[in-house]
Order: sequence, then C-alpha cells, then structure tokens
Amino acid sequence: MRTYRRLIGFLRPYRRQLWGSLVFAWAAMGMTVLIPWLIGRAVNAIESGARPDLLPLALAIAGAGLLRLGLTVVRRLVAGRVSLAVEFDLRQHFYAHLQRLELGFFDSQQTGQLMSRATVDLQSIRFFLGYGLIFITQNLLTIFLASLVMIAIEPWLALIALAPAPLIVYTASRYNRVSRPALQEVQQRLAELTAAAEESVSGIRIVKAFAREEHQLRRFRGTVSRVFDQSVYSIKLQAFFSPLIGLLPQLGIVLVLLIGGRQVIAGNLSLGDFTAFYIYLVMLAVPMRMLGMAMGMAQRAIASGNRLFEILDREPSIQSPPGAPPLPAGDGRVRLEGVTLRYDSATPALSGLDLEVEAGRTVALVGPSGAGKTSLVALIARLYDPSEGAVLVDGADVRSVEVGSLRSEIALVADDSFLFTASVAENIAYARPDASREEIEAAARRAQADEFIRDLPGGYEAMVGERGLTLSGGQRQRVAIARALLADPRILILDDATSSVDARTEAAIKAGLREAMAGRTTFIIAHRLSTVSLADEVVVMDAGRIVDRGGHEELLERCGFYAEIAEHGLADTVFLQRDLEARGEMARL
Amino acid sequence: MTPERNRLREAFLLLASLWRLIRGQDQRGRKVRWMIGLLRPYRGRVALMFVAMLLATGAGLAPPYLAGQVVDAGIVAGDIGALDLIVAAFVVVAILYAGATYLQTYLVGWVGTRALQDLRERIFAHLQSMSIGFFTRRSTGVLISRMTNDIEALNQLVTSGVVTMFSSTLTLVGVVAIMLVLDLKLALVTFLTFPLLAVASVVFRIVSHGAYRATRERIAAVTAYLQETLSGVRVVRSFGQEPRHATAMTELNAANREANMKTVYLNASYFPAVELLAAVGTAVILLYGGVQAIDGAIQIGVIIAFVGYLQVFFDPIQQLSQLYTTYQQGMAALDKIFDLLDTEPDMVDAPDAIDPGTLRGEIEMEGVYFAYADDALERERRGKRVEWALRDIDLRVPPGQTLALVGATGAGKSTFAKLVARFYDPQLGRVSIDGHDLRGVAQQALRRQLGIVPQEGFLFSGSVRENIAFGRPEAPLEEIEATAAAVGATAFIAALPEGIETEIGERGVQLSAGQRQLVAFARALLAEPRILILDEATSNVDVRTEKTIERGLERLLAGRTAIVIAHRLSTIRRAGKIVVLEGGRIAEAGTHDELIEVGGPYSRLHGAWADSSAA
Repeated sequence: MRTYRRLIGFLRPYRRQLWGSLVFAWAAMGMTVLIPWLIGRAVNAIESGARPDLLPLALAIAGAGLLRLGLTVVRRLVAGRVSLAVEFDLRQHFYAHLQRLELGFFDSQQTGQLMSRATVDLQSIRFFLGYGLIFITQNLLTIFLASLVMIAIEPWLALIALAPAPLIVYTASRYNRVSRPALQEVQQRLAELTAAAEESVSGIRIVKAFAREEHQLRRFRGTVSRVFDQSVYSIKLQAFFSPLIGLLPQLGIVLVLLIGGRQVIAGNLSLGDFTAFYIYLVMLAVPMRMLGMAMGMAQRAIASGNRLFEILDREPSIQSPPGAPPLPAGDGRVRLEGVTLRYDSATPALSGLDLEVEAGRTVALVGPSGAGKTSLVALIARLYDPSEGAVLVDGADVRSVEVGSLRSEIALVADDSFLFTASVAENIAYARPDASREEIEAAARRAQADEFIRDLPGGYEAMVGERGLTLSGGQRQRVAIARALLADPRILILDDATSSVDARTEAAIKAGLREAMAGRTTFIIAHRLSTVSLADEVVVMDAGRIVDRGGHEELLERCGFYAEIAEHGLADTVFLQRDLEARGEMARL
Repeated sequence: MTPERNRLREAFLLLASLWRLIRGQDQRGRKVRWMIGLLRPYRGRVALMFVAMLLATGAGLAPPYLAGQVVDAGIVAGDIGALDLIVAAFVVVAILYAGATYLQTYLVGWVGTRALQDLRERIFAHLQSMSIGFFTRRSTGVLISRMTNDIEALNQLVTSGVVTMFSSTLTLVGVVAIMLVLDLKLALVTFLTFPLLAVASVVFRIVSHGAYRATRERIAAVTAYLQETLSGVRVVRSFGQEPRHATAMTELNAANREANMKTVYLNASYFPAVELLAAVGTAVILLYGGVQAIDGAIQIGVIIAFVGYLQVFFDPIQQLSQLYTTYQQGMAALDKIFDLLDTEPDMVDAPDAIDPGTLRGEIEMEGVYFAYADDALERERRGKRVEWALRDIDLRVPPGQTLALVGATGAGKSTFAKLVARFYDPQLGRVSIDGHDLRGVAQQALRRQLGIVPQEGFLFSGSVRENIAFGRPEAPLEEIEATAAAVGATAFIAALPEGIETEIGERGVQLSAGQRQLVAFARALLAEPRILILDEATSNVDVRTEKTIERGLERLLAGRTAIVIAHRLSTIRRAGKIVVLEGGRIAEAGTHDELIEVGGPYSRLHGAWADSSAA
C-alpha cells in the first residue's frame, strides 16, 4: 500500500489535468450509458407505433455519440499527455539517480538487471499510472452508471442480471494472477534460450574444434523444449480462462432473456426496457473483463514499483559534503594513510596501506592479479571510499572536496578502454568538449593514434563505440590514452593501459607518454618491463599490501618477490605481440 | 442487384488489399508458402484448429440473431414455450462458443509454438553447419536475434495474426451475410457507414504504422544510450562527465515523448470516431428500421438483432486494421530468417570425403596462399591490392614435433593454426595431414583428433566436469580427474563450492582467466588429440598460474604434433622447430640454436628480449 501511495505521488504534478481527464471520462461514460436507454425508448416507440418520436430519438442517439466523440478526444489527449509526462519524469528521475550513485553500486548490479528496471518495470508503472488508473475508474463508472439505470428500470431484474458480475471480475483478476508468473517463466526460459544461443555462437570455434556440433544441437533442443513446454502451459491457461471469462456474461444475458422475456409477456416490463437491459449486459462484458485486467496491472505496477524504489531509495554513498570546497591548488601530491578497502567480500582488497607519492613522480605498481593495484588507483579518483583510513591529494582529504573538481584533475586509462558511440574526435575530447581540433590531434599524435585515425573512413569524424566502427583493443587503448592526455590532469593513472598494444607501437607511445608525464604525478599499472621502465620507482604489491618500493635494479637485488615477478611475468614479453586486430578477430571467433 | 453488388465489393476491399499484400512483394509468397510447409507435420491439428475456428466464429455470430428471435417468436408472439426453447438454444450456442474457443486457442498456440520451435532448431542447426569464416563476418548479436527476436515476431504473426485474419474475416462476412438475409434494405442502409469506416481504418493503419515505428526507434535509442552509459560508467565517473550524459538523456527522453504523443493524437482521433460511427449506425437502424417496423414490413426483433450485430461489426474491422503492423513485422523477420537460411554452408564435406582414421600427425603445407577476403584471387587477377594473411608457405612438420610460431602481430601465426584446423581453406596451395589434402577429409573426423587451446579460455555453462569432458562426454570421472591433475587444476577445482560438479559461467561461479585456461587445457588433453594447437594459450594467465600450466604443458606435448604460438621464450626454446613469420611469409625456420647462429630476425627478437629484461 505504501508503494502504491508513492507511485500515485508521481501523478501529483498533474493533478489538475488528471481530474480534468476524469471529468471528461465520466461525461463520456454517461453518454455511453445513455445510448442503450435511448435505444430502449426507440424500441418502445416502434412497438407502440409512435412514428413522430423516432426521429428525435435517433437524433438524440447520434447527438450523444457526437458529444461522446468530443469528450473522448479531449479525455484521450489529456490522459495521453499525462501518461507520457509521467513516463518522462520517471525515466529522468531514475537516470539522474543512477548518475549520483557510487561506482560500487554498479559493481554489485548486473547491467541487465538495471536495464530491466529502466525498461520493463518503468513500462508497467507507466501503463498503470497512465492508463490503468483511468481504466479502473472508467470501467467502475460504466458498471456503476449502467447498474444504476438498470436498477431504476427494474430493481430485481437488475440484481439478477448483475449477479455474475463479481464472478467475472474475480475470474479475470484470477486469470491475470496465474497467467503472470506463467508468462514470466516463459520469458525466463526465453532468456535461457538466448543465453544458450549466444554461447554456442560465441563458442563456435570450440564447438568446431572439438567437432561437437551434434552435441550442441541436442543441448539447444533441450532448451527449446523447455520454452515450448512452458509456452504450452501458459497457452492452456489462456485457453481455459478466456472462454470462461467470455461465457460468464452470457449467464446474465440468459437470465434476462428468460426472466425479463416472461415479464414482458406478462406486461410487467416494456419491450424497450427489456432491449435496454439486453444491450447493457452485452455492453458491460468488456468493462468487467477490463476491470479484472486493470487490477492485475495494478499488482504488477506495485511489484515493479518495489523494484524501482529499491534503487531510488538507495542513498549515494559517495557525495561531496554540502558546500565542499574545490580541490586546493597543487602539483598532485598523493598520500594514502592506513587505507583499508573492503568490497563485499570478507577479505579486504587493501589492508592498512600507507603510501606517499611526491608531486610529479611516476610510480609503477607491480604485483600479481588481485594484489590491489587497481583498487589503489580507484581510491585516488574517489571512485570508491576507503573502509578505513584516508586518501589525500595535495593535502586535502578527497572526501572533503567537491568530487567533480577532484576528478577533473585526474585522468584514468583502464585496460578495457571504453569508447562512447560518437566520433573519434568527440571521444578524445570527452573530458574537454571545447578542445580545438589542433589540441585533439596533438593528443592523438602523442598517443600514437593519429596515424590509424587518419586511415579510418571519415578520419577523426569516424563513429566508433558499440554502435560504430569496431576498433581493435590496441587502437581503443590509444584513443583512451589520447583522451586522458587531452584532459591535462594533475594526476595520470595508466591501468594496464597498453596491454593490447603491440611492442613496437608501445615503444613509440612511450616517447609520447614520457613527455606527457612531465609535471604530473603518474601511476602506472603494468605487466611489461618496458612500461615499468617509464617509472621513477616501483611499488611492489601483494594481497592488498605494499611489499617493497624502490628502483628497478634495487628491487631486483633486494626483493625476491619482485625478482620472481620480473623474471616470469615481465621479462620475455617481446614475443607478446598481440595486436588489436588479432585480438579483435579472436574475440569474434 | 448492381448497387448491392457494389456495396459487397466494397465490403471485401480491405480483405482483397490484404491478400495482395501477402501475395506480392519480393518472393514473400514463396516465404509464406514455406512457412506453411512448417505446419505440415501437424496437419491433423491444423485441420482441427480450423474446424474449431469455424465453429467458434459461427457460434459467436448467433447471439444477436437469437436475441431478435426471443423478441419476435417469444415475446411479441407471447409464446413462453418458444421463448424457453430459444433461450435454451442461446445457452447451447454460448457453451459451444466457449468450447470451440478453448480448442481454437489451445490448438493455435500449440501448433504455432511447435512450428516456431522447429524453425528455431533449424536455424540453429544451419548456423552450426556454417564455417568459422561466416561467424567472423556476422555479429553475434545479429545471429542470436534470428533465433530469438525474429522468431518472436513471427510468433505474433502466426498466433494472433492468423486467428485475426481468419476469424475476423469470417465474422465480418458472416455478419454481412446474416444482415443481408435478415433484411436486405435495412442491411444496405446500415452498410452506408461502412465505406467511411473502411477508409478511416486504412488511413489510420498506414499513418499509425509509421508513428509506431518511430516510437519503437525512439525507445530503442533511449535504451541503447542507457545501456552504453551503464557499460561505460567507470569512464563517465572518472572524467566527471555525469551532467553531459544527463542532458543527452533528457533530449532522447523528450524525443521519445514527442514520438509517443503522435500516437496519442492518432488514437484520440480514430477510436472515438469509430465509436461515433457505431452510434450513428444505431440511430440509422432505429430510424429507418423503426419506420419499416411500424409499417409492418419487418419485425421488431430484426431491429434488435441489427443493433446487436452492429456491436459485433466494429471489432473485427479494428482488429484487421491492426493486423497490418503484425504482418509487416512478421514479414520483416521472415525476410531476415530467410536471408540466413538461404546462405549456403561454404565448407561442406565433399561427398567422397574420407575418414583418415587415427592420425600420425604429419602436417604439410605446399605453396599455401590465404587471404580473409573471399574474392582475393579475383582481386589479384584484376590487379588490385590483396592483403594475403599467408603467402607462399611451404613447410613440413613431422609427426610428434613441436612447432613454435614466432612473429609480430598480423604476421599470420593464428591464421597458420586456423588453416591446420581447417577453419578456412587456402585460396592457393594445399594443406595436408598424413598426406591427405584437408579438402578431401571429413571435417568432423579431422577435428575430433585436434586439441585447440585458444587465447581466451572459452567455457560453456555447465559444471567443470562437463566442460573438461566437452570433447568426450562419455569419459569416466576418474579419467577427468586425472586429466585435471595433469594440468595442475586439481587445487583450484577442489576449492570450488561443489568441487568438479560446480556450475560455472553466467549463472554459476565465475572463474578467473587463469582458471578458465586451466580448464581449457584439461579439455584439450582429455580429447586425446593427435595434433595440439596452443594459440597464445598462456598470455592471459598470471605468473603463478603459468608456472602450474608449464608443468602440465610438458605432459600435453609429449608424443603428439603441436603448433605453439607463444611469447614465453622458455616455451619457444624447447620447440623442435621455430618458424618466424613476417608479413605472412616464412622469414626463417630452424631450432633455437640454429636461428641464433644465423643472426636473422629471430636472433634480433631474442636480442630485444635480452635488452628489455636488462632495462
């Protein structure tokens, strides 16, 4: 009920339109109910041979129809506008909220889940608020008004005729209740089928390599029959309920024909009233069924509302305190004091870590996967907040400054370089949309991206990203590096940023990077010795702690752990020439 | 009779235009006939389905007539016996209608779903028969959509479309016929509203089709944008660009609202207009019919029946007008599905393909040229530039030897391996194993004896055990466990919540890249391959895992021919033969010591390695 009230709250800004549309709906329904009564009068006139009465009655019917036309048009326009406005608001609200939530939230949520909130759940709420509510009041009103007229004509016949009505509403809402989960299960199994299809297409190389085509087909057949079985179950429900819901109103009509007919013969009821009764019952079958459906709609909207509010009620945990000052001026000194970071699991990603990096230094973070390198750099950009301890940039605790001013001074290049569906130029200028073409091209040149960009169809204006050209991993990384360089940050973070670039290109990027690193603090997470060589010093990490730090040579001698990593993980990477083309091709196979 | 016939012709105008739609347009007739062919196995049920539809439609038409009879034969005649009899008929008809509708709904749903599941399987089987080259040219999403979204669109057409087509048409014809029989003149007067309704419906149908398509495009744009900003949320946050995306989203959201508003306008003008026509029709019946009845030309029950039929009349017309959209979408889906099914598998076994039996594992390439573009030879002949991935490769690998491929990205290492697995055929030259040209060998017989470990350890959803036994599902558990132990995967498997039976993949436990790779190694080993291909199999693995794998590798390589694409010098050094590829050509070949001595590209690469480790 609370959810219901909160959902209704979305309608508050449109109260006036809503009442207006209800008034029009009621008036239109009044016309709809008036018409059968007029038909009844006309039948009486015909029976009694009152020829002059016919024309006025016919005109009245046509007039009522015309009036209803006007009322309904206005009602539909107003209600449609409100419904769309509510949808618009809901989506804006939801999106704005997502933008405020901290990154940790997105780690714990699957994108698919959020998408389904934003599409399926939003849709069912909008249907309910936009149409469902009006349906319910409109149908209730029709039933109410028609019943009123029938009772006025002949009370106990009306009661007999309307006796099956609650049964119809009940059956229709019961159908809605049982068919919903059944249909959802069909959707669920269809999702499984999609996953199975995707798997066999993505893994086709393995399937072919092991000559397992037959086996895959058998497996897929299994998935297909699961969809089939559930679909048939849901069809059975429909086949059972929908004729039943159609049959029940006939019960009322049969009673009216049988009892009302006898009344007319006995002279207790006029033929016109009898006709009006008959038409009302034919007419009411639809609203009664709709009422049941709309009630199901309401249940669904409440379930969807619960899911949506789950997200909307989540307070963003990373926020600037009100009136927070911008990041103080500085050269990018970074300090971590006793930092512990726990994601959801019990083992912390970082535990009690202290690190101080002077402004302008370049530090390489080295360690096995899971050592906490990526977590460490994410804390500097305040993508997460430490569970314990503090992160300071130029002397200010990152939690105390305005988060936008902090992030605009930090540029991060991650190993999976995400590009937006936009031109290459727009992607490079992502952090500074006002950058000139010269600046963009200069950044691209430094990142060794200029050459391949010019070869793209359309050059810098070529569309890339999910719905654009597919660039290779190495190409994407170079665009991402250019994007970071153009941002002109105080602190530059390269998280395995050249992993997909081949050795020769990397050597060329290094020159550009060396230039770009001058005057900034830089953190490099790398698995290649050649990249590590860019750094002034190396920080060796393992299991969320710093094992040692110092120069490369120094550490090789002093730190056995580093020597081991250097020998196995860093050394002979000359042969690691995965270029983007090869990688992209692999991914497609 | 001429004017009446004209009216009748008008009545069938809509249906005729629909029929033309189905028959016309780029072979759609063929496609529709083919679709109908899918129903052949279920002929019996289809026949019963049509009987049920016929019964349901017939029974649905009776009530207004019976109500009229209640008035005429029962009430006006004052005959209670007749009244009871007709009401009894009414009850029978209602029950018949419910029963027939049950049967119809069930059968239509069953047959439609069954036929479409068959189609799904057919598409899947067809995809499985396509070569690897086909999959590199098409995006995964599009192929999957053929088996999912497009089938769903067809489902709409088959289930609701067919029913609407058949029963709405029949209802319409039935109502017209009954009205004409009941009273010719009154029927014709009632039909006066018909052309107006037909025109309005057709116009509405055409205009709203475009409007609804626009709404679908807009909401798709909203969804795509949302999806993108969610996938890229890290980048958005780290550059602090949230406000910009919020603005863009507002624009898309507003565009979506505008597009939807158009449909509101359309609906607000069409549906109320139809209601008005119903009211006007009723007024006309009462006025004209009333005068006739007062004159004694017709009975009053006829008027009541007419008013009743008028209610039945408008539904099928509205439904038929909605059919167009369903039809368009279904046909678009059918076109796409056909496009796929019409693509012939490009690497089919020759009719006389042989099963070479157990392979010794001798690989030979003779004058091999290969390019990923199918028309490479044609282009070369016309003097255009062709990017050969491999050119003029001559090489023999004796059974049991390990061949290491070395070279820069794009040098052709992976392509070499793919030709050995016959994922592609060379444009020139031949690839043979044990002296059999691969083009004459049954693909399944060949690949069953290959073990491939790719760069990304792709695993299927299912248990670890099922994944290891992928190539030999009948392998006993002891053997699977022994294989896992051989590659050093036992420790991590034991740590999983349910050990080797743990479900992995999307709905199960997520494995790390290194763990996946270990499973992929075990999978290759269990298949007891005669030829093993390792394509940068350890590049995604961290140091600790790699050590484990290296131990398993020796076991894996023993006694079989192997092609290894690797970056670890230690692995390469051990190979019986090293081939350095440059731009698709063999630059040099020999053992590690030989190549170092020669002082060619390999020794330079090796020198660069030495430099970089000293850096």
